Amino acid sequence: MNEEELRRSEATMADLLNQFERILESDPQIDEVGFLHPSQFSELNKEAGHSPSFDDSTVLRSADGNSVFWNRDHKLGISTQILLPLYKTAKHAFMAASRQYKALNSKSDVSGDENSLCASLSLDNSFEGDVMKHSRALLLLSCDFGTAWHSRKLVVSHKHKLSDFLDELLLSALVLSYSPKSEYAWSHRQWIIKSIAGKCSTLSEIVTKDSELVEKIAERSKMNYRAWNHRCWLVTYMTREQLLYELKRSRNWASLHVADHSCFHYRSVRPCLLFVVILRDERLMLKILEEQCYKQEISSSGYSVETYQLWKEELDWDEMLIKRYIGREALWLHRRFLSLFWIKHFITNHTGVSSHGKQNNSMNNDFRIFMDNELHLLDSCSIIPDNSFDDYQSQAKHSATYILWLIKQIPDSRRIEFQEKLKTENLKALLNKACPERSSTWDSLVSYVEAAGH
Amino acid sequence: MGELAAEKHVQFILSVEKKKDSLEAVAMEHLRMNGAYWGLTTLDLLGKIQVLALFNKIDVLDVDKVASYKQIKSKRNKKILLNLIFNSDVAALQNKDGSFSGDMWGEIDTRFSYIAILCLALLHRLNKINVEKAVNYITHLNFDLPMPTAVFCCVGALAITGSLHHIDKDLLGWWLCERQVNSGDILIKSKAKPGGLNGRPEKLPDVCYSWWVLSSLVMIDRVHWIDKEKLVKFILDCQDIENGGISDRPDDAVDVYHTYFGVAGLSLLEYPGMKALDPAYALPVDVVNRIILGK
Ligand SMILES: [Zn+2]
Repeated sequence: MNEEELRRSEATMADLLNQFERILESDPQIDEVGFLHPSQFSELNKEAGHSPSFDDSTVLRSADGNSVFWNRDHKLGISTQILLPLYKTAKHAFMAASRQYKALNSKSDVSGDENSLCASLSLDNSFEGDVMKHSRALLLLSCDFGTAWHSRKLVVSHKHKLSDFLDELLLSALVLSYSPKSEYAWSHRQWIIKSIAGKCSTLSEIVTKDSELVEKIAERSKMNYRAWNHRCWLVTYMTREQLLYELKRSRNWASLHVADHSCFHYRSVRPCLLFVVILRDERLMLKILEEQCYKQEISSSGYSVETYQLWKEELDWDEMLIKRYIGREALWLHRRFLSLFWIKHFITNHTGVSSHGKQNNSMNNDFRIFMDNELHLLDSCSIIPDNSFDDYQSQAKHSATYILWLIKQIPDSRRIEFQEKLKTENLKALLNKACPERSSTWDSLVSYVEAAGH
Repeated sequence: MGELAAEKHVQFILSVEKKKDSLEAVAMEHLRMNGAYWGLTTLDLLGKIQVLALFNKIDVLDVDKVASYKQIKSKRNKKILLNLIFNSDVAALQNKDGSFSGDMWGEIDTRFSYIAILCLALLHRLNKINVEKAVNYITHLNFDLPMPTAVFCCVGALAITGSLHHIDKDLLGWWLCERQVNSGDILIKSKAKPGGLNGRPEKLPDVCYSWWVLSSLVMIDRVHWIDKEKLVKFILDCQDIENGGISDRPDDAVDVYHTYFGVAGLSLLEYPGMKALDPAYALPVDVVNRIILGK
């Protein structure tokens, strides 16, 4: 390529970038971006009921007549053919704008002269605009360009305008529409919410919307742990009503999705989601309890009835699922969490307070009922039928490690009573029967639990 | 059981560097530094770092002409680290509670604790931060339901600062060893293979998670709680025997990231013919010794 040609192609690319940025400017409600192979353009038009030959408003062409952008109903398609050169051009433009913006900012910091300050402020605005414009284009082409996210944070926090922060939520959602696992886009959201918390009256609305966004994205990209992690994080900013509502919703969701069990294809996918849903339940429960403790200043009458009921419902729900869906590790781990929750908040917290005989008695009674229930569960789950299915072996293994773990977690004073009812050798035998290939692991675990008893 | 196709993996690593102007390569630009680390460490663990000279690849790494390759590595490490330190004052990112933020925007994560402690340890500058508080922050985190990558960062940071006695090794070891997938597990019926470790319950086993869990188990001295032989077999099954490279699980496409974690895992499992790897620093032991002890 000679110099003349090179200059011409650079000019073409600058035009393309302009065109791209104009689309983004003129349709601020775009909520989905995708990359299209050139052959897909005419198909898309047919689908939308247009003649494939010509449609000004939907397909935008480059100077040489190729279709490059598709924009309709707030959806934006970009031709894969121009991605690489467009990315390079956007990156170049962004880097230049960002350099100028930085240079100007460091200058106005040192200059005390009022006139030059005013002049630099207006310049500042135009560079600021350039940084925002080009970084947006760039991030819609490459979501992991950290410097671009960083510059946007700089500009937005400099301006202190709520509407700017809300615009950033839109951009992040747009990036997530084509890259639903982008770490930068998710952490940008967290930064925004942290920044506006306490300054924004509609925060709880925003949090609810964000929670819905996660659900939408999780439905589309099945194994999206990052999205669920964000939903866990949102818990911090929820009101009590929201927490209770979300807990109920997520229980429904999990019941629905664990049932995909019958569908072979989902077996490798859904369990993982079940686990993150449960993980979120646990965050929700911890937050609810935390708030309650704070509100009641830990009343002298032990734990609150409301919290106890919440916990009991969850425990029963988990047991119901365990019995229906045989051998699911996530459900057993959730049970460990719930038991630990019990031990930490309902037993150990109050042993000090409850020197009164009466309360101590009812506590002992509750404890016995709880343990009896768990041992019953073990009994019903440790039966491996003769025409043995692997699922039942898994179930037996999980139930045995669960009880072993429980023995380890309960306070020393209570363990003695419990150990008579259940010998660790029996658990070891059960484990070796259910999963003989890990016998050395079972040896290590059992001797660890036994050592804790002395 | 198959064997380690070391020569093929070396060829694979060298070939990755060639594909430069594709969209994928451009979009991965931000990972070039990581790629250099994964590639170089893999070559070193396989005892093949000197092939860089034969293939005249030193220029790729942007390192001045030097005679000895041992020197290249330590010089390069130092250069990268010094740049990091000077460009972003690591010590200034420590918060009052001992945690670390990733940058000026304040996101807090155990990743940043580990990275800060690692960088400063390699530069002999741990005295620039409050180590006691940093350790205290980590040991007071809620570890009821950990994630292997976070566990690695915490255990690694504690190992580097000599504070491993703060954790209940058995309890943590218990959770970690349950990540190994057995042949009776529910996942096996879909498409998983036994022996590998997964990142969370009921998830498919993955070579990279095998590393996060394994290295933590080695650091807390509970590696005998898993079936080492089965894990070796799982990693070897993830090799592309023909074109080199290791994938996340058998029959998937290979990449440099999983190639490094596979080779690193085999090194920790004492697979014959490989250099030893330090589980906390995630660098070859001789490199760590040279930097930390000046040997
Ligand atoms: Zn992986």
